[in-house]
Amino acid sequence: MSTISTALRNFKEPTKEQITQNFFSLPSIPVVIGKDAAGIDEEVEKMDINAVLSLGVEGEEDSYAGKLYLMAPYLAFSSLDKKSVRFTIPLSTVRRVERLNARAGIYALSLALWHGGKIIVQLTSLRPTADLFCALLRDALKIELQRGRMKTVKGFVKTCYSEVLISGSAPTPSDEKDEISATEASESSYLGGLGLRFKFPGDPKKLREVSKIKLWTTYLKTHGRNLTLLRYPQCTRLVQVGLPNRLRGEMWETLSGSLFLRYSNPGLYEQLLEQNAGRTTTSTEDIEKDLHRSLPEYAGYQSEEGIGALRRVLQAYSFKNPELGYCQAMNILAAAILIYMSEEQAFWLLEVLCDRLLPGYYAPSMHGTLLDQRVFESLVQRCLPIIHDHFQVVDVQLSVASLPWFLSLFINSMPMIFAFRIVDCFFCMGPKVLFQVGLAILKINGEKLLQIQDDGGFLNLMRDYFASLGDSAHPHSTDPRARAITRFQELLLVSFREFSVITDDLILSERKRFRNEIIHSIETFSKRSAVRNLRSLGRFTKEQAGLIYDALYQAMCVIPPPPAQLPPPALIHEGLEEKPETRIQLRTFQYFLSEIATWARDEKIVSNGFQQRVDRDVAEHEFIDRLFFFWDTSCCGALSFQDLVSGLDGVMFNDLMENIEWFFNLHDKNKDGFLTKDEVLTVSESFLFIFRFEVGDAYLGAVSRFMTNAFEYGDALLDDVDHKEILEGDEPGTPLPLPSNQPYLNLATFRMVVLADEILESFFETDLSASFRLDPVAELELPTSSSGLLGEFWSTIATDNNKKMFNMFTDEIGKTIGKHQVIHRPSIGRYKNLEEPKARESLLTPGMRHSTSKSSLRSSPSSSSLRPSSPSQSLTVEVPSSTNLKGPVSAVGFSPMVQAANAALLARPAFTIDDSKDDEDDDDDDTEVADNDDQVMDEVDAFLEAHDSGLTDADKEVAKDLLNAEPVK
Amino acid sequence: MADAASGSTDKSVQVKLVLLGEAAVGKSSVVLRFVSDEFQPNKEPTIGAAFLTQKCRLEDRVLRYEIWDTAGQERFHSLAPMYYRNAQAAVVVYDITKASSLEKAKSWVKELQRQANPNIVIALAGNKLDLVQPSASSSGTPPTPGEAPSSSGGESESLRQVPREEAQAYATEAGLLFFETSAKTGEGIVEIFTEIAKKIPIEHILAATRGGAGRPGAAGGRAGNAQDAAVNLEENANKPKDACNC
Repeated sequence: MSTISTALRNFKEPTKEQITQNFFSLPSIPVVIGKDAAGIDEEVEKMDINAVLSLGVEGEEDSYAGKLYLMAPYLAFSSLDKKSVRFTIPLSTVRRVERLNARAGIYALSLALWHGGKIIVQLTSLRPTADLFCALLRDALKIELQRGRMKTVKGFVKTCYSEVLISGSAPTPSDEKDEISATEASESSYLGGLGLRFKFPGDPKKLREVSKIKLWTTYLKTHGRNLTLLRYPQCTRLVQVGLPNRLRGEMWETLSGSLFLRYSNPGLYEQLLEQNAGRTTTSTEDIEKDLHRSLPEYAGYQSEEGIGALRRVLQAYSFKNPELGYCQAMNILAAAILIYMSEEQAFWLLEVLCDRLLPGYYAPSMHGTLLDQRVFESLVQRCLPIIHDHFQVVDVQLSVASLPWFLSLFINSMPMIFAFRIVDCFFCMGPKVLFQVGLAILKINGEKLLQIQDDGGFLNLMRDYFASLGDSAHPHSTDPRARAITRFQELLLVSFREFSVITDDLILSERKRFRNEIIHSIETFSKRSAVRNLRSLGRFTKEQAGLIYDALYQAMCVIPPPPAQLPPPALIHEGLEEKPETRIQLRTFQYFLSEIATWARDEKIVSNGFQQRVDRDVAEHEFIDRLFFFWDTSCCGALSFQDLVSGLDGVMFNDLMENIEWFFNLHDKNKDGFLTKDEVLTVSESFLFIFRFEVGDAYLGAVSRFMTNAFEYGDALLDDVDHKEILEGDEPGTPLPLPSNQPYLNLATFRMVVLADEILESFFETDLSASFRLDPVAELELPTSSSGLLGEFWSTIATDNNKKMFNMFTDEIGKTIGKHQVIHRPSIGRYKNLEEPKARESLLTPGMRHSTSKSSLRSSPSSSSLRPSSPSQSLTVEVPSSTNLKGPVSAVGFSPMVQAANAALLARPAFTIDDSKDDEDDDDDDTEVADNDDQVMDEVDAFLEAHDSGLTDADKEVAKDLLNAEPVK
Repeated sequence: MADAASGSTDKSVQVKLVLLGEAAVGKSSVVLRFVSDEFQPNKEPTIGAAFLTQKCRLEDRVLRYEIWDTAGQERFHSLAPMYYRNAQAAVVVYDITKASSLEKAKSWVKELQRQANPNIVIALAGNKLDLVQPSASSSGTPPTPGEAPSSSGGESESLRQVPREEAQAYATEAGLLFFETSAKTGEGIVEIFTEIAKKIPIEHILAATRGGAGRPGAAGGRAGNAQDAAVNLEENANKPKDACNC
């Protein structure tokens, strides 16, 4: 009926290293192709070092202080403010490294890059650190050289449009006739999207394509391109005014870092498609439904060419990441990016989107989407409190409008040309852009938003606003330049200027803050729907079914079931059971049962003088396996939630007679209504298993009486049968041995035998049913997804291993001082001391006692060996109720810290609608200056912010000197 | 904007209606047919939910449907409560050529009955009726609903996976309005919305909106009473019909 996922539980907050990697758009896991044997030990240590970066062209750019990172096979730099200047460069594009001969005490390197550019880094850390860095850099470069990566650069950059642009063979920017130049350009080998054939959206003249291309050509010439792009402030500004259509695809790749994935995984895309050719999955079926519904108004998607490309990219991604598969909205993203890039490029960009930029957005639980919606709501509350309050009053939910914004990057909310400009900024500046733009939309419409009364009004308002983005923001202004500002430009200005407080770090910390809340609500939701979707609740209430679900969930967290298998292309197609259903294997079941049934766990109460704790293990016994297969009514070797509920229903509500019958049926393998002799033995083994930790000999006595009686009755009954058989049979005089599958004991006899014993009777009357307890067993906590400060701290201190070590340690000490003591907690615990209840008067007449079965004797030694051998035997077991570890208690002490952290967060400057009056004047200031080409630059300047190079004048002087320095010989 | 703000002052009654059902059963197409009497073979899939409005005249009353057309893919399921909260009506759509879609519809109904507004009016709509009807050229006499499943019905009828009786029986049992529809031909679409309109407890909505918006007024109250009477009459008049219909 449903699938249960424990994936969310396994979420780990990114480490510092991962955050750095994400910042530099590096692939999160280095993808090794064809694992060369030497590859692993040749990994070079990561290192970062303080440095000052200068561009090797005098006067072009300022020098910036920052940090240089060696993360083989990449070299990366970020200025101190983390936004002005940065680069990520594969080491394979470094052609030459020279130590510069400069003033005393200055340690500088000159790096010549593939594109002929040169950068100079002055290592400002202490000398030994700098030496170490250089040594590591040398090693890393050597490895790249050995791997032959240096040679791959040349071929790879040919696929990039920027190369064509720089070499001048590109359509000359002055040439306005795109169509003609498009055919020309397609002869060279660069990759491009559907736009080359089906046109790009928007009017190239209005978009000022020519000027933009010109500016980019200049920039890319001096600052490197594709693999070696150095991102100076100018780069960000050029992105903010909108990328030119022809360059857009490549710049998206470069800015997002998907370029590196494509670079380091050549051919993987084709390979994926080839290996999975003809395969159909739920994802491919879903994709098929949506192919013709993705930007259908774009000419490219009215042709088989466009549809085919879209199909292949989405399918390839679903094959690469089957767990995520395909989610509606991905089709819109893929369709959009395919206008600007080739299939392979789009595939890798989609990977970066789903994996890093929009984490968890498209996952089956869509937890990322829900989380970011929650984060957005909290940001609205903080930055635009009046709007937030109004929404609360009129009960309008922000997400009804904002969810699609985030999920499809505004592509199906706004006219495409505007959405793509937001996407430009998104790839360049990261996911915070979505939040900034979202807040700006609300702020700009603040007045009107305060009038709306319901969700519908909200959506209509947003729809109208998006439709008017191309209009003038100040239609009534007397200043023609002010009138020329479109609403869209206004939106971007407000986004980046007024909401610059929204930083990546803030988003990360907000996600952390709300993650547990979201996970909890998702889990509650899926629990509720799992319970609701049960075909039958049996006699359980919904709450009880919920408890069963909890136990199942916990078991799955500890022992995850194999990924839900799609049914193989079935010969008998049921049609109904299409969705894979979560089913657990025996191992998980054992754990599940140990949560529910007292006898399915081994509980040892350990006291060692320092602490008293309960060590719990999952019991393994044939009896549990038997139960597993007994409940597996569909005989598929795995149990669903429904199976578990029905199974438990079959035993938990039974009265005496029903329980006896249930137990009988459980052991009657062929369901013929008879137990065989072997099965009778198995029954007694089951008894012994369940009673294994009971105190005293009472239960052992009961089991042995059971066996004696069972075999006496059985033989007595069998005698009749035997006599008949012997009469007809061929071997008179040798009644033994019986075939093992010979029906031996029927239910009525079994019942009589059981009822002959007081202990067994009470076991079946109450104890068996009572041994199943749905209330969660205390003490063993779930692997919690670490939350907030506390969670992080706790997870570092109190890992399972640490706890185990602590326990072992105290045990050892306890043993040496003679206080170590282990007591098995009994499963039933009816008899707390050794007093043995008297056996009932035998039902058997003395005459029937004559033939004590041999087999009953056989089993008695084995039963005595099962006798609990711990010193506990002589003790009265008081079941300790407060056995919780002390650990979590100490964690409470951190809550003041958490509060302080929250207070600090809230103390950030709040941005409200009210205190932003003065900004409008700024807008006007920014829009002066002249026409033509420069007009683009006006816009660029509008985004100009003070870029602090983080250097003093003297430092700058040094940096300048280095430009002319000679290499050390 | 102005319309939305003044919506509650004119005579129309706002009814929030939500469409639910498996992906690609034609939820959006049903809405599109109802709202603008169009059919697009390639509708963009709904992300989150689409929002449309349409007025519906019923006797002297005008209902203004606010329609939330939700995404059908399974993973959007957890978002659905956001859209069906406070809904007064729901149309649960399935595809009569796909048996699994009825199962999904049943689970939606279950969820609505337990989680949504307790007075919600639910209609079950089996869409894509056009796929199982003999094409216009081959048949002059369309089969009546009663005989369609029993008679072999030719090639096109074999596409049907959900017999009308089965769905009808389920709908009756669960207390739903039931229709078989075709967004493509328009068959049965308007009926869904008019039948819902008849069944909706309008006086509840009026009372709720009056209370919620805080708009007191003797005139409004009196009008409300008059409407109550009218609606009650209407419901009574429809009882026999309802009884046989659902």
